[in-house]
Amino acid sequence: MKRYLLPVAIGSLLLAFWFSPDAQEIAAGVAIFLFGMLMLEDGFKLLGGGTLERVLERATQSTPRAISFGIISTTLLQSSSLVSIVTISFLSAGLISLVGGVGIIFGANIGTTTGAWLVAGLGLKVNIAAYAMPMIAVSIVLVFQKSKPVRGLGYALAGLGFLFLGIHYMKEGFDAFKDQIDLTRFALSGLLGLIVYSLIGTGATVIMQSSHATLVLILTALSAGQISYENALALSIGANIGTTITAIIGSLGANFQGKRLALAHLIFNMVTAIVALVFIAQLRDMVDWISGLVGIAPSDYTMKLAVFHTIFNVLGVTLMLPFLTRLIAFLERRIVEPAPDVSRPRYLNEAVDEFPQTLERALRKEVFHLYENAAELILHGLNLHREQVFATDDVAGLVRKSRTRLELDLEDDYERRVKTLFSGIVEFSARASDKQIDPDIAERIFALRDVARQIVQAVKSIKHIRKNVLRYTVRPQGATTELYDELRTEIARIAVEIRKLGLAESKDRSALWLDQERARIEEDARSTSKRVDALIRKRDLTPAAATSFMNDSGYAYDAMRDLIEAARSYYIERDSAMAEVERILSLDDEELNEAVTNAKRAARTGESEQTVTGLS
Amino acid sequence: MGLKKLAAKVIDYNERLENGQASEIKPLHVEKVLEKLRSKSTELEVEIASAKSADKKTRLESKLQIARTHIERAEWLLKELN
Repeated sequence: MKRYLLPVAIGSLLLAFWFSPDAQEIAAGVAIFLFGMLMLEDGFKLLGGGTLERVLERATQSTPRAISFGIISTTLLQSSSLVSIVTISFLSAGLISLVGGVGIIFGANIGTTTGAWLVAGLGLKVNIAAYAMPMIAVSIVLVFQKSKPVRGLGYALAGLGFLFLGIHYMKEGFDAFKDQIDLTRFALSGLLGLIVYSLIGTGATVIMQSSHATLVLILTALSAGQISYENALALSIGANIGTTITAIIGSLGANFQGKRLALAHLIFNMVTAIVALVFIAQLRDMVDWISGLVGIAPSDYTMKLAVFHTIFNVLGVTLMLPFLTRLIAFLERRIVEPAPDVSRPRYLNEAVDEFPQTLERALRKEVFHLYENAAELILHGLNLHREQVFATDDVAGLVRKSRTRLELDLEDDYERRVKTLFSGIVEFSARASDKQIDPDIAERIFALRDVARQIVQAVKSIKHIRKNVLRYTVRPQGATTELYDELRTEIARIAVEIRKLGLAESKDRSALWLDQERARIEEDARSTSKRVDALIRKRDLTPAAATSFMNDSGYAYDAMRDLIEAARSYYIERDSAMAEVERILSLDDEELNEAVTNAKRAARTGESEQTVTGLS
Repeated sequence: MGLKKLAAKVIDYNERLENGQASEIKPLHVEKVLEKLRSKSTELEVEIASAKSADKKTRLESKLQIARTHIERAEWLLKELN
């Protein structure tokens, strides 16, 4: 079906051009208008520098706020499709709630009606081509500037200029067209007209993927007297149904939440359209009444169409709002959340690829997902239960008591729950690097990939020591068991500290806290080595057990270092200046050593002073 | 060694800043980090006071020492910036 679509579309256009050269002007007008919309989108993306995405997260704290955000953003961008796609992307990344997303879509439907007002009130009343030309000319000067916001302004201005130019050509085309063919001959009245023209409106919007462009086409045709007012109303209802296609296409690569939102969009627009079609006579009367109130002439059909478009979209939101909770419940029933599969990436999907902000946040969440899997596996590998480790106040005591072998296939679990996620993260980061994203975001994405690598390394290290953990810690075997218990305790403590860091409010925590853990493990690594030597000398440790332990302690300390480094990179300040401060203040190995030595010296001095005081 | 390495890090940071490769640090940024470090230090002091085992106390004391080192470094950095 898809492969025939393009030749059919091009063939139809060529046929129309051959049939009427004026159709070229109309088609070119639509093309210029759509091109203008693309430029306007690009311009706002550059100009805003992610403002839309930043505001979006905060805009969904309540339904009225979400609706307002939908109205304002769509009015500014003049594209409900872009707002829908951003919303699906954010929802898929788990950054906003489904209720918030649905609220935005409701608002976007109202916001899109401002386009009809602009075109009917301004575009068709004045010679907008006269404004378009200087706008395009000035914009190109701005587009070639270095500064991003200035370039963004240039693109936005050019977009607006092309929108105006597109409208002008559509208007001119229809004016010339009417001298040759009278399209009103095809006007249909009554129920048949409503159904046929609604379907035409839907089809035109599906093809152009812009209800805004369809509406402008309807308005210009109506202004040229090429379609009847009645049929124009049906066409605009159809355009509202057709616009859902963009969200449906956008949701194909999204997760279940994105799909729910696309379904909500479809339901909302379908219900609104059905209500509008059923009560078309009453709505027409209402339009006449409101038009009379605001001083719109009875024969000004383009303005009346704008009034109609606004009324039926506002009506749709008013009708659907009381059922919002039921709608959400229906969506959740209809599109069931897949059972959480720890072995599959949870946040990385094509929908979050769309925007750098969602891309980074989704990756961050996925890395945390990987860490959760890894931490559980690491502790299980040491015969420890995560919940018990996190609940206890005495990790060493818990470790001494944990003598039961935990049945697990570490190799299989590693492949299933760690390696697959890591592969997903690596693939996603590589895909992200292909996109032209801000260097700062790109750097953070690569840093997150490195965090994932360190987590994986830590699990691999634990895989190495698992055999001897089982050998020496299930049954007490004197000094060897004590040594392995100490390793288990230290790793468990690192997991506890990382958890504490994660639980702390971001405004209170500092990655510098991890220096305290680093200092501790480096000190432990040194003292363990000395202790092993002493145990061998005393024959409390066989050379064979000592060799095994020394190898294993190497792996264990590597795992601890990897986990600490991973946590440090993950929890480093998001503010780049604050992150710089943390990097400067952070202690390197030599400085840590010095701090630990000073601490010992201070402790010894304190002890001797106490002794002296005690003697005197 | 003292704060020599820290001073070297600051020189390196200044070079990166001049090349546009680093964000500018303002005293407020350091103050914020300092605040976090001080609250961690207080938290550790409270934990030490309530620690029952000698081993735990020693561990916490060594952590406190690192926290104090960080505070000292942050204060130095703040002074440098001012």
